[in-house]
Amino acid sequence: MTERLQDIARKIVGPLYSNRRLIKYYWKRTRRNKLALLGLAFIMFLILLALIGPFFTLDPTLANFEETNFPPMGFAAEKSVYSIESSELTTTTISGIWKHPLGTDSKGRDMLAMIISGARISLQVGLIATGIAILLGTIIGVLSAYLGGWADNVLMRFTDVMMTFPFFLLLVLIVFIFGPSLAFIVLVIGLTGWTGTARLVRSEALSLRTREFVTAARASGASDGRIIFRHLIPNVTSLIIVIATLSIPGVILAEAALSFIGLGDPTVASWGIILEAGQHSLDTAWWVAVEPGIMLFLTVLAFNFLGDGLRDAFDPKSNI
Amino acid sequence: MEVNNLKTYFFTRSGVVKAVNGVDFKLRRGECLCLVGESGCGKTVTALSILGLIDSPPGQIVDGEVKYNNLDLATCSPRQLRQIRGKEIAIVFQDAQSALNPVLTVGDQIIEQLQIHLSIKQGEARNKAMTLLDEMGIPSVERVMSSYPHQLSGGMKQRAMIAMSLSCDPQILIADEPTTAVDVTIKAQILDIFRELKTKRQMSLLFITHDLGVVAEIGDRAVVIYGGEDVETAPVSEIIGNPKHPYTAGLIECLPDISKATDRLTSIPGATPNPVELPRGCSFHPRCPKAMEICSRQQPPQIIISDGHKVSCYLYQRST
Repeated sequence: MTERLQDIARKIVGPLYSNRRLIKYYWKRTRRNKLALLGLAFIMFLILLALIGPFFTLDPTLANFEETNFPPMGFAAEKSVYSIESSELTTTTISGIWKHPLGTDSKGRDMLAMIISGARISLQVGLIATGIAILLGTIIGVLSAYLGGWADNVLMRFTDVMMTFPFFLLLVLIVFIFGPSLAFIVLVIGLTGWTGTARLVRSEALSLRTREFVTAARASGASDGRIIFRHLIPNVTSLIIVIATLSIPGVILAEAALSFIGLGDPTVASWGIILEAGQHSLDTAWWVAVEPGIMLFLTVLAFNFLGDGLRDAFDPKSNI
Repeated sequence: MEVNNLKTYFFTRSGVVKAVNGVDFKLRRGECLCLVGESGCGKTVTALSILGLIDSPPGQIVDGEVKYNNLDLATCSPRQLRQIRGKEIAIVFQDAQSALNPVLTVGDQIIEQLQIHLSIKQGEARNKAMTLLDEMGIPSVERVMSSYPHQLSGGMKQRAMIAMSLSCDPQILIADEPTTAVDVTIKAQILDIFRELKTKRQMSLLFITHDLGVVAEIGDRAVVIYGGEDVETAPVSEIIGNPKHPYTAGLIECLPDISKATDRLTSIPGATPNPVELPRGCSFHPRCPKAMEICSRQQPPQIIISDGHKVSCYLYQRST
C-alpha cells in the first residue's frame, strides 16, 4: 500500500521535479504575457480569499436592522427614515464605516462577508462543474478517436445532439421539478458542458493514435484501456488545462445568470444571488448589485487572460 | 515461426492496395532471418501483420497463416494475440523517437512493459529495467531511467527501445530497420547488440532492412521481397555470392565497389510497382533485364535451386 502511494506521489511530483527545466520554460513563456500573470495573481488572491477569508469576516448571514444600507467606505448615501411619531420623512446623509468596509445590504448584512463567502461558492461551482465536464469530455473524446468507426460516429452524433440541446431549458425544468438546489445546478452544467471538450480532445487524439508509440504500445501487448489511460490521455493534458481554464468563467457566469433570473439556490449566497437581491434596491443601495458584479467581471476576465496565456505558452508554434 | 502465403490488403478508395501478396518464410530457433527489399515492397506490413497490428479498416489479412507454437496468429482471438505481443514476439521499431511515448520517462515505459506481462512488484520491475538498460551498454542507467525520450540521444533511445522489447524475454524479436535512423557508429553498436542477443539468448531474429551490408553482417538467411512477394530465399552467403533472381542480382550489382573506379552508381531501372495495380505475371518483369515472353503472362513457379535456396523465376525452370 505504501509502495503504491509512494509510486503515485512519485508520478505526480516526479515530473514536476525532474522536469524543472520544462516547467521553468513554460513559466517563462507565460510570464512574458503580463495580462496572464495578472490573471493568475488575481485567481490566487481569490482562492486565498475564499479559503481563509471567512475566518476573519463577520457572519454573512447575520442580519442587523440597525445598520441597514450602509454605503462602502469613502462613499456617502442619503437615507430616508419615516418616523411614525412625527409622521415625517427625515433624510439623513450617512457615510461608510470601518465596521462594514463594503457597506451593508437592506437587511444590514455585511457586504464584505457576503462577497467573500460568495467567492467560495462561485469558485466551487466553477471548479466542480468544469471538473465534471472536462472528465466526461476527455473520456468521450478519446474513446471516440481511439475506437473509430461506428463508435466514433455514434459518440460524435450524440455530442452534436447535446450541443444543440438548450441546456437553459433543461435547468429551468429541473429547478421547476426538484426545486432550486446548487448541487443540481452544478451537476446539470457539468453534464451538459462537455461537448466542446469532447470535440477538441477527439481531434487531438485522432492525430495521436496514428503515432508510432501507440502502435508500439499495442505491439507490446497493452490493452485498449491501458493505451487510452497511459498513452493517449497524458498526451492531451496541456490541451485539457487550457480548455479547463477557459471554461471556468463560463460556468461561473452561467450560475450567476441563473441566479439573476431567479433560478438560483436561495439558501447559498453566491455572487449571482447577491446581485439579484441588489437589483431591487439599485436606487437606494447601488453597491449591493455593483460589488458582486465587479467581482464577477474581474474573475471572468482573470480566467480568460490566464487561459489565453497558457494556450500561447503550451503552443510550440507561437512565438511569444 | 512459419509464415505461409500471407496476404495483407488495404481497401482504400483508390483501389485495393496489395501491400503483402503471398509471402512465405520460416524462422528457425536462434537464427537471424533478414527480410530484404526496397522501400514500399511490404517488409514493414509483413512485420505488422505477424503481430496483428494492421489497422482495420482499411487493412486486412485476407489470406495465409502465421504459425507460432501451433497457433495461427492471423486468426486467433485478440486476447491471445495480446498475450503473445511483447512476451513471445517483440518488435523494435525503426524510429525510436516516435515509438517512445513523449510524456513518460524511459524507466516508466520499461516498467510498464514488464508489468503488462509479468506479475512483479514495482521495485522489482525497476531493478529489472535497470539491469536491462545496463546490458544494452548504457552508461548512467539511473539518469536514463528518469529521462524523457527527448532528453536522450538517438542511439540511447534505440537502445532503450531494444531493452524494452527484450524485457519479457521474447522468443522472437522482430527488428524493423532498427539501424536506419541512427548514424554509422551507433549502427555498428546496435548490430553488436543484436549479434550478442542471438548467440547469448538463442533468440530468433527477424531483421527487416534494405541494407545488404547489414544483411551480410548479421543475417543467417535472407528473404528478398519484391512487390509484396518473396522472390528469393537463401542463406546469406548464397544471396550475396550466388544470387539467382534477376532482382537480387540487381540489388547486389547496385552495391558500390571500392576497388573499381566509377562515375555513377549502378541502379535498377524503373521504380517499385504500384501496389494497387501490380503487373500481371511476375511483378518484376517490366524492370527485368532477362524478361521473357512468359513472364508477363503467368506467375513464375517457385524453383528449388539447392537445399535452402529457392527462387521464383522462369529462368531456372529447365535446369531443375
